[in-house]
This record gives sequence, structure tokens and C-alpha cells, in this order.
Amino acid sequence: MFLFEYTQVTSSNNMADVVQDKQQVDVFEEIPNADPLPQQDPVPIPNITGPPKPKPKKAPELPIFERRNWLIHLHYVRKEYDKCKSIIKEQLAESGGMCEYAVYVQALILRQEGRIQESLELFQTCTLLNPQSADNLKQVARSLFLLARHKAAIDVYNEAAKLHDRDWEVAHNQGVCYMYQRDYKKAKECISQALSYKRHEISFVMLGKINLMEGNIEAAIDIYKQAVEYSPENPDMLTTLGLLYMQVGQFQKAFENLGNAMTYDPTHVKAIMSAGSMMQTHGDFDVALNKYRIAAVATPESPPLWNNIGMAFFGKKKYVAAISCLKRANYLAPFDWKILYNLGLVHLTMQQYASSFHFLSAAINLRPKMAQLFMLLGVALTHLEDPDNARQAYEQAVTLDQKDPIISLNCAVFTFNSGDKKGALQHFKEFESRLRTMKGANPNSGDPEMHDTASRLGAALQVGENLLWQDQGAQKAKKELPEPTPPVPPPFIPPPRGADQNENEIFEHPPPAPPSYDIPRPTTTSQVNIPTDRDQMATPIIPPYDPYEEDHSTSRMSYDVPTPASQRTHRVVVRREARTPVQGCL
Amino acid sequence: MIVFSWYRGSNEKWLDAYKDPVASLYTLTQCITLSDVQADGDWKLIIADLGTGTFDMKLKVYKGTNLMSENTIIDLPTGVETFYMDTHEPRTPAIAVASGPYIYVYKNLRPYFKFTLPTLEVNPVEADLWNQVKEEKINIFVLREMLEGMRAEGTVLTVRSLRFLQLQDITDCEAFANLYRFTPLRRQTVITSLATLKKSHADEDAISCLVLGTESKSVYVLDPEAFTVLTTMELPSVPVFLSVTGLFDVEYRIVVACRNGCIYTLKRGTTVTTKNCIELNSQPVGLQRINKTIYVGTMDEALHCYTSKGKKLWTVKLPASMTTMEIIDYKPKGFKAVIVALSNCNVHIYKEKYLVNIIKTDDVVTGLKFGRFGREDGTLIMTLRAMHRTFQRDLYLLRLNTAREYVKSLENRMNPISSDPQEPLKLNATVQGIGPMFKLTVNLQNTSLSNPSTNLLITFQYDDKLYAFKNSFIEVPMLVPGLNYAFETYVECQSDKGISDNVKVYILRQGKSIPIITGIISMPCTDVEPIANVKKKNQDDF
Repeated sequence: MFLFEYTQVTSSNNMADVVQDKQQVDVFEEIPNADPLPQQDPVPIPNITGPPKPKPKKAPELPIFERRNWLIHLHYVRKEYDKCKSIIKEQLAESGGMCEYAVYVQALILRQEGRIQESLELFQTCTLLNPQSADNLKQVARSLFLLARHKAAIDVYNEAAKLHDRDWEVAHNQGVCYMYQRDYKKAKECISQALSYKRHEISFVMLGKINLMEGNIEAAIDIYKQAVEYSPENPDMLTTLGLLYMQVGQFQKAFENLGNAMTYDPTHVKAIMSAGSMMQTHGDFDVALNKYRIAAVATPESPPLWNNIGMAFFGKKKYVAAISCLKRANYLAPFDWKILYNLGLVHLTMQQYASSFHFLSAAINLRPKMAQLFMLLGVALTHLEDPDNARQAYEQAVTLDQKDPIISLNCAVFTFNSGDKKGALQHFKEFESRLRTMKGANPNSGDPEMHDTASRLGAALQVGENLLWQDQGAQKAKKELPEPTPPVPPPFIPPPRGADQNENEIFEHPPPAPPSYDIPRPTTTSQVNIPTDRDQMATPIIPPYDPYEEDHSTSRMSYDVPTPASQRTHRVVVRREARTPVQGCL
Repeated sequence: MIVFSWYRGSNEKWLDAYKDPVASLYTLTQCITLSDVQADGDWKLIIADLGTGTFDMKLKVYKGTNLMSENTIIDLPTGVETFYMDTHEPRTPAIAVASGPYIYVYKNLRPYFKFTLPTLEVNPVEADLWNQVKEEKINIFVLREMLEGMRAEGTVLTVRSLRFLQLQDITDCEAFANLYRFTPLRRQTVITSLATLKKSHADEDAISCLVLGTESKSVYVLDPEAFTVLTTMELPSVPVFLSVTGLFDVEYRIVVACRNGCIYTLKRGTTVTTKNCIELNSQPVGLQRINKTIYVGTMDEALHCYTSKGKKLWTVKLPASMTTMEIIDYKPKGFKAVIVALSNCNVHIYKEKYLVNIIKTDDVVTGLKFGRFGREDGTLIMTLRAMHRTFQRDLYLLRLNTAREYVKSLENRMNPISSDPQEPLKLNATVQGIGPMFKLTVNLQNTSLSNPSTNLLITFQYDDKLYAFKNSFIEVPMLVPGLNYAFETYVECQSDKGISDNVKVYILRQGKSIPIITGIISMPCTDVEPIANVKKKNQDDF
């Protein structure tokens, strides 16, 4: 230490001004225990009038409690918590626990370490030290929120709002609390208010989420549109908007948004998965595979990703690759019925009926109400020469699903092959009526392969010469075939199910209770019908929007540890393969 | 500390200029600056070192790679800036070091003077109370009671009152009151951030004002000549980072990142700070400005860019959390970019939102500075976190391990010199011969001055499959102090595979199992084959 005495530099004329300004400059202030100047000063030290007079014992200067707050803060924002804690400890010892900011940061660090109860107590200490601070109250409320005491949190936020009105954070977090209390109306009110104070991405996201929880996709789309307008380069929001558009069937817009998301972040896994599944739908398997390659680097252990890769290979008729990818997906998620379904389908194509039966029955155990699974099981059992069980499977399929024409068609073929012409005719009529309903809803639905099979079966049954579904191509094909024994077994196409089912299906599972928002989400399915001329290889299952994905509430004052990538649940983008292979001979 | 030089004309962007792993610096970006402090065209590196965090704080000036001067700082340095405070020739800038409530100004690398922040208003009731104590109108009990009441009401008190309330003992209270009652009551604050602002000309060596952010949520602009406060501006929260542009006398902008996670813009004559305020989602870790855009790094591992109006332009996700950021303004090429130091020991350079360069370092970077150093225009200074500490810790560990091993060997009597003062002996053994027969000589010396050693035994530990000792047990006669005694035995190596082993020599006292000293002899390999084998081999050859 050395004495900071006023040393006049001879060249400076301005020093006189400085000396006069005694208010501001402690020209002669003495620092206790100061050593003499460490170096020899060649400039003479003037203006010290005479030897220093013996003064009365001067009281030592009291350092202010907040003197190291800036350093605590800097270490805190750099996440150097160890260093930070040691400074806080020193500072609290020096101030006798009276340094508010040190306690505050200590509480923030404790929260970061997951000791929320302790951090709550420290924040309460802070409010005692400084009852006028809205920040302290906000942190108390935040801790209460993290402890799932939403009601208490709302009350404390109300207190904070009294101290600091028009605060975005208070309004937003209150909205989130209401959301977990399932008071969606109030939640929306609060968050809209927050947005009117200050626009934040997170508020848009929460508002969209609440709308989705209420089942209002259109409103959610509007919110996300605003959000994307406010922050045009956020890939997460662009992807969500794209997915929402997909759900309402606006594929052009969906693809635009997903494409934008990938422009801003070429490695955005969620966008890649959704866009990839759309590309697969259109048969661009190579492009889709290229995209998946990028995603595989980021999430090498994602079951939906491997499922989609497998089905892309399937689309390219690389069956061995498809099976190995699907098996990897199955290894990673053994209870995902969609992967099992696809495995069953691929094995059916490979004519490995026993394996197919194995996977399909596993899928049925997980999804006992799925008619298409029973139908595939029936196909597999037919080939395994177990007609009794096959019949049972078909019957189950027909009773479970009242809409799908393909089930009826497959059933008719099976009955025909087993020699029951009358039964076959009945099923065929059922098929026709179902197809008519489907065409009524969407004239472009259906598949040439299905038409082909139906026409041949119709010919064999000697009905349906002028059926409404018969198009030119089918008739031509029919003419080429030698009647009445079509030697080629009729292929079957499983159903592209109506898009109208989406809404019902997405919310078929009620949202779980707030504290348990991290429970595994139900797999919801929704399929879209894509008008296409080409052989429809695949029908994707569009990822359902997930309202419980992450805890999006924030506190700007603290930094919450993000979920590690491996724990994050990825949107399930599972494609269900749509091509059914061959059925038995007529 | 690492110094990198801008490197032209090659794919390698940087030239590793200098690296000092034992610079032993604990510093932050705001405590590093580059300036031509001696007006000789050779720019110096000025670093305020936080020392251990409690003492040993120093202002260090490096000329090239050498430490040129070192001044002790009394309290933790908050920031360092250089600025021209007058128009004299030669144009030497002054160094301002913010520390606690003071700014220490150095000129010509010597202490020049100290500026103290204006004190804050003291609550009149509190001031009155202490006045009455001074005039002995009230006793300490009344004082205590009154102060406690004020604190309970939430009144902001001075440190003196708070300290007084913390005292438990009545005698302590009395002593405290007596000690302090004659000094004037003041409420101080501390500086949290420091920057400079050109006063009326934009020239590189124009006179600059100092801009200070304080713990009392204010920003002060100081006159460089008279050191008076030119302007005071109030903020809703405590300033953490300052970014200043413009001229004080014309128009200026002070962008302030605060502890409440907001960024405010102060203009000449502003009173409403909340206009164009940017609310961040997370705490800012660094704030920089390029032209009219504001770059903020936040704790949630992101780099954001805003317009000066507060509209967000873009966000870049960072691969790890940020520790500090700095700006590159390389005028010869008109290159402006942001450097971001990350906690994964990488330093990223972003030109707008595009990552243009990555520098890998050995440790986490705590301080960054880009600018002119020496005669080189583009130099990047990086200070690393733990280099010195790691080195010191390793050194301590090495010493500790050495000491442990030594103690262990002492405990096991594994050393050739006896540590027992009762048995002052020295052992030394030699092996002679080329094998398979060796002569092993054990030399024993009694190192005491007068006491002879008696009743000693020599024995050996060896692998009996490998060696045969002619005499594995030697009785030692009395050892006269100072003389060297040699004891010999023959050892035969029984293996023809050319292998060797260690043999241990123990000096024992009769009746005790712990050896006094132990010697380990590394036996040489047998150079010659045993004759029997040679004979057999010759027979085979025939």
C-alpha cells in the first residue's frame, strides 16, 4: 500500500483547479497504515505545509457492504460459481450477513444447484433486508413456482406487481402459474398483458401452448405468426409454426416455414425430422436421407429418426438397410408400436412372415384397438397357412374400423381365396360403400394399386363392371389381364386415413396434471391425405404438437439450466408405412 | 496471458506472438487496456491485476513482453481506462483505475491523484442522531433504539449505523460510538464500471471524460480537467457494462447493461431511461457495439444483436456458455467483428452473425483485448483463468508427493543413510564382475563421532531362483566411528536368460526385526554364458 498524496507535476497548470475542488478530490486524504511511496519520485513533492501535525486518532474507514457486488455479479454471469461462492462468503462475513446482493446471488446459485427450498429461504432473507425490492419478491415467487406452489407464487407476484407495475416478467410468470393451475382464461389474459408490456418470444410460445391445450389450433397459429414476425430468425418457432400448419393440412405453408427454420439453423433436428417426413411422403427419399444424415449427428439415439431412415430405405427398396435401421429404432424404443408396425410391414414385404407375425403381435399388445394391425396380422397369418386365426384377425379388424375400405377389401380377398364367394361378395360391397364415403370426403383419395386389386376382385366376383371408383387406368389394366383368373395376387394398400381425424386424435389424451408435465407423452397419431398420382409409398404421421415439451417460463434474473439434449423429448415424427404387400392368390 | 498477432496473407489468421503461462494474473476484460502511455509510439499493455482477490492488487504495465512497471492498488480494481486529460505535449494519456469509491489517476506511470465519488445523501434523521451523539445529548441506547426503528421501516442507513447495530456488546457499542462520533457521517457508494467519452473532438488524442457507473444506480460523467461531475444520470438498476460513443459536447450515447437484465440507452439530456430499453431473457455477460448495432452475450449461451432502437436483429446459439466478449476493430482492413470467449476453451470470432474464426486455448479465457500493442496494429491479448493457479497447484502437489515419499521411506527405513540418531550408519554397496559370478561388496561406515556400533548383522533379500549367495548372512564386528568397513560375498546368477533383478541389503540389529537401513542394489545382467551351456552348445554344433 502506498500513500496517495497529491503529487504535483510541474508541467501541469491545471492542478490548481483540482486542489480548489476539495469537495470532489480528496487531495490530502490519508490512508491508514500507508507505506511511503514505493518508488523514488524525481518530481519534488511540494505543497505539504510543514511536518504533519499530530492528529487525533482517526477512525478507520468503514468499507461499504456492497463494495464487491460488481465482482460477485461478474463471476456469477460467467458461471464461475466456486469463485463466486468464496467471494460471497467473505463478503457476508465482512458485512455480518447484511449484504443483500451477496445473499441474492447465493440464493441464485443454490437454485441452480437444485436446492430450491434453501434458495427460497435465502430469497426470503433478501426481502427482509430490502422489502422495497420487486426483484426479491419476483425471485421468491419464482422459487415457489419451481416448488410447484403455484397459488402462493401468484400471490407473491401480485405483491411484486404493486412495487413495480407494468412488469413483463411478473405478468408472464403469473400467466404460467395460471396455466399450471389449468385456469387457461386467466393465463391467457396475463400473458397477453405481458406481451403488451414487452414482446418476448417466450410469451408468444406460452400463449400458443395454452391455445393448443385448449385445442384451438387456429388461434395458436395466429400467435405463432405474430411471434415469427417479431423474431423472424428463430428456428424453434418457425418449426412449431410449420408443424401446426401441417396439422391443419396446409402443407405448402408448413414446408415454407420448415425450410426457413433450416435456413437459419441447418442442424435443427426438429425441423429436419418434420421436413424429412414430408419429403418422404412425396417420395424424395434421397433428399430426405440427406437431411436425416445431418440430424443423426445431433441425435444419434433418436428412435423416430432411425424409424424414418429405415422407411426411407424401404421406399428406395433397400430392404436390408431398412430392417437394420428399424431394428435399431426398435432397440432404442422397444415399446413404440409404430416402429413395430413398420418392422412387421417390411418383413411382410420380404416374405418373412414369421418375423412379421412376431412384430405385429408385439405391436398389437401395445395397441389393441388398431384395426390396421389386425389386418396386417391377417395377411401374415394367411401366408403362414393359419386360415382360422387369419379369419379371426380379419374379423377383428373389420369390427374395429368402420371407415377404412382397404380392410374390407383385404378381407374380401381373403374370404374369396378361402372359397367363400358369398362372404367375399358381402365384404366387397362393404368395401364399395366405404370407398364411396371416402371419395365423398376427398375425391382424390385412394390408390391405383387398390383400384387395380379391387377391379380384379370385382371381375372374379363378376360384379362392379362400372364401379364409380374405376378409372381409365384400372380398366385398361383389367383388360390386359386374362379373365377370370388373375394370376397376380392383388396387392393391398393400407389406409390413408382422413385428415379430419387429426384434431380429435391430438387431444384424445387429456393433458396431464401440471406437476407431472415431464411424464412421457402419449403418442398421438395423425395422418394426412396427400393427393398424389404416384404410387403412394408412405403416409407420414405428422408429429403432434406437444404442449408439455419444456418448461418455458423464465426468470430473466436467473439463468435456468437447459435440459441436456439427451433428456429432451423430441417430437415424434413417425411415419407409418403404407404399402401392404401381397395377399394370397385368388 | 497469451498475445496473438493479426497475421496477414495466409490461411492462418493469427500468429502466436507470446505466451506467458506464469504471468499469474487474475483479471477481467474491463481491467485490460492498450495505450501509448509514454507517447513514444510503442503501445503498452496495461493490466489491473486483482491479485488474490483480497490483497496483492497491482497495476501492471507491459512493454512488449516485459513487465515495465508495477504499482500497488489498495482495493480491488473495477476497471482500467486510459484517456487524455490535457492538451500538453508530448501527448501522454493518463491511466484511470476505478477501485471502490475512488478513481486513481496515474500519469507517466506514477500516482497523480485520487478522485472520490460524491457521497450520497444521508437520511436527515440519521444524521441528526449522530450529531446528537457527538454533542452527547443522547446515549447509545437511545441511538440504537432509534436506528433499529429506522431500519425496520426500510430506511437506507449508512454503513456506520449498520455496523453499530451489528454490535452485540454494550462496551463495544460505546467504544464504536466514541470512535466515530467526530468523523462526519457519510454514505458512500462504489464504482461498478468505467468507460471514457470524448469531450468535444473526435480525434484519437482528444480530451476525454470519464464515465462511471456506480452501485447507487447512477452514471456520472466527469470533467477530465477539473474532475467535477458534468452530468449525473439515474438508472433503474445497477450498471454492469458500459458502451459509450459520441462526443460529450455534441451528442452521445451511453448503452448500459444492468443487473436487472435490461439494457438502457442514455443520451445527452435524457431523463426517461426506459425508452428503447431492451429486456433480455437472461443476464448479460458482455456488451459491445459496432456502429449502430448492439451485441449482447447472455448467460443462456446466446449472442444477440439489437438495433440502437432496441429491435432484435438476430440471435446466435453458442456451443458453450460465454465468459467475456470484446470487439475487433481492425482499421487497416476495415474489419469489425465480435470476439466471444467460451467456457469450452474456444474463442469464437463473429462477423455479424457468421462465425469466421475459432481460436483454441489451453484454458478458459477471462480477459480479452484487441488493439494496438507495441508497433503491431492488430493484437489480441487473452488472459486465461487457471494457468498460473494450475501451475502452482501442480507444483504444490509435486512437493507434497515428494515429501510423502520421503516420509514413507523414512518410516520404512528404506534409505541408505540411517535416520535413527542412535544408529548413525552409512551404507553403500558395489557389484563387481561380468557374471554369472559377481562379487558384492557392502561398505558400512559409522558416521557418529565417538560411539562405536555393535551387534549389527547384514542380510540380503533376493530371488533364490535367480541368484545364489555364497554368504547371505554376515555378522558385523564392532564399527569404529569414521572408518569404512567392506564386507564381501559372492553372488551367482543362476539364469542364462540374461535377466537381472534387484537385491536388497538390510542392516539389522540383533534381536530387532525392523532394519536400520536398507540398500537396493540393481544387479547387472550376465554378460557371459555359463560354461556348462557353452559346452553343451558346442556339442550341439558338432
